[in-house]
Amino acid sequence: MSEVVMKGLKKVYDNKVTAVHDVNLEIKDKEFIVLVGPSGCGKSTTLRMVAGLEEISDGELYIDGKLVNDVAPKDRDIAMVFQNYALYPHKTVYDNLAFALKLRKESKEVIDKKVREVAEILDITQYLSRKPKALSGGQRQRVAIGRAMVRDPKVFLMDEPLSNLDAKLRNQMRAEIIKLRSRINTTFMYVTHDQTEAMTLGDRIVIMKDGYVNQIGTPQEVFNKPVNLFVAGFIGMPVMNFFDNCKLLLEDGKYYAEIRGVKFLLSEFQQKALAQNNTQPCEIVAGIRPQHVTVGEGDLSAKIEVSEMMGSEYNIHARCGTDEVVMLIPTVDLTTDVSMGATVNFTTRPHLIQLFDRESGKNLIWYDEESAANDAPVCKRYDF
Amino acid sequence: METKAAKLAAPAKQRAPKKKMSKERRIRYLKDNSPYLLMILPAVLVVFLFNYLPIYGVLIAFQDFMPGDKILSDSTIWVGFQNFERFFSDPQFWPLMQNTFLICIIGFVIGFPLPIIISLMLNAMKGKKTAKVLQTIFNGPHFISLVVLVGMLTLFFGRYGLVNNIAAHFGGERYSYFLESRAFRPMYILSSNWQDFGWSAIIYIAALSNVDPQQHEAAILDGATRFQRVLHVDLPAIMPMISVMLIMSIGGLMGVGYEKALLMQTDGNLQVSELISTYVYKRGLTGVPDQAYATAIGLFNSIINVVLLIIANTTSKKFSENSLW
Repeated sequence: MSEVVMKGLKKVYDNKVTAVHDVNLEIKDKEFIVLVGPSGCGKSTTLRMVAGLEEISDGELYIDGKLVNDVAPKDRDIAMVFQNYALYPHKTVYDNLAFALKLRKESKEVIDKKVREVAEILDITQYLSRKPKALSGGQRQRVAIGRAMVRDPKVFLMDEPLSNLDAKLRNQMRAEIIKLRSRINTTFMYVTHDQTEAMTLGDRIVIMKDGYVNQIGTPQEVFNKPVNLFVAGFIGMPVMNFFDNCKLLLEDGKYYAEIRGVKFLLSEFQQKALAQNNTQPCEIVAGIRPQHVTVGEGDLSAKIEVSEMMGSEYNIHARCGTDEVVMLIPTVDLTTDVSMGATVNFTTRPHLIQLFDRESGKNLIWYDEESAANDAPVCKRYDF
Repeated sequence: METKAAKLAAPAKQRAPKKKMSKERRIRYLKDNSPYLLMILPAVLVVFLFNYLPIYGVLIAFQDFMPGDKILSDSTIWVGFQNFERFFSDPQFWPLMQNTFLICIIGFVIGFPLPIIISLMLNAMKGKKTAKVLQTIFNGPHFISLVVLVGMLTLFFGRYGLVNNIAAHFGGERYSYFLESRAFRPMYILSSNWQDFGWSAIIYIAALSNVDPQQHEAAILDGATRFQRVLHVDLPAIMPMISVMLIMSIGGLMGVGYEKALLMQTDGNLQVSELISTYVYKRGLTGVPDQAYATAIGLFNSIINVVLLIIANTTSKKFSENSLW
């Protein structure tokens, strides 16, 4: 068992800047959790507090049920992969892998066996006598992972391990991490600013902003049920289309979303959630994912400014009044003219419209925990 | 189908315009970099005027040269290696070699590792403010002139200096450190190291500031203690710098200056304080100047330095990846 539990974890630096506010998180045994957010959101600081590289200002951190706030990093039974690999440049790959074991005063035979086993798994046996500078970025990354693996840790921490690699190698290494994870089967905490990495790797994703956790959920949850405007905008590629100054209407006991003068009767589920929260008609920001836009029908219209043929789909940038609308339109059975300069009608299915309170930015459907009881979100509630 | 001959000819054809290209490229390079080349020009001129042009003067080491003679004229008397032979048979040759060598080698053995140790210690200190204050204090003595330094030594170790006053206070005898041969080398070497260790540490401190902090963090997670981190992260990181400094120090090993030795020289310590440089100064510029002889001795000293530099560089190249060339 190697659970990680954070209770009210907080980091305040000497200059009184609070980097992390009250993080509460329970990472289950063998879970792969990804901390994602923009630069300066506190994700790396949180990871470093778990590693013991940053002092915890307030709160409690438990690893495997043991309070480790004041436990030295080496005694936490964790291993970390760093962004810049942090390999010892003067040591060979073998010595890099063996270093932690040597410090633990393991016997030569044990060290050799473990190093060779890990090298075999990571396919770096042929590089054992080389020094890091004689390796490619991908190979160095494997050595960095191997160095963590030989320690057989309870928790594996990874701080943006792929950000120094080019796009092709990053995709390759991402797949390798997925394979590796199934092989070593331990708890992973992974930090990234790349939402694609977060979505593809994580069992659950923790989305952070300005030191606060905004949402914790599975990749599907955070994509389909973002709790606020930030999460909605951060997760998903291309970014969700936001229509400001829209209205939530209540007519004859039915809720409607009015987007640019076009009324959408909301789905049964949305009606129920809004009614349960006793939501009153108000000004909203409506969010529609580019993947959820349908062209050639509906009453909304936009003029296409850029039309990119991507093979299986068109990536369209259009202007709807003052709003820029991005649409991902499958090329199969497309009959509408989507060339540059064309004007197209578009719409979406009402249940795919995200409704955000204009004042607070909270999702009117998914934010409230009470609506979670109605089959829908499992997303936790956080103050932001 | 392409014939074998045509295939062989093809690269030759390709090579011809390549040469033309490189000329064009060279002109373009000069054009593109002209502002930078102009900026470096004064430095090149200074080095040429004050470092390379005077090499012309070494010719007098092979002449029967008197002050006022022209270095190259019809009346120049060439004597070959006579001046060098004179020096080798000079009764002062071995004492001079021994004195210079001992001062340099002991100074090097004590003085070379000292800044490395200091820089590693300052870098490993938790309190960075304290480390900076200490570094500033350590740098201070470098700015003291040699005359003042020797003056300070006199104040401390002179017959009526602080050390003797304290000894006398406790009933001890006054001791003339400056008149004692035994005291010359310790005073000379320790005061030199005291003056320069902080300054010499700067280059290592700068090199240490480039060490990736993540390497330290990785070592912490690996379970390394502070001392182990110094050994496994910091020291290897500055090893290339240490190699370069080592080569340069060995290259200048016999190049000890004459000023401080002359200032500290007394009749009592002359047998150990007479160095090659002081001897060159005395023979070349005082009394009846014998400039040809002094130049020959100086040239001999320089040749030893060059040989040492080549040996150090070759050895370093062979056993490590670092060398000057």
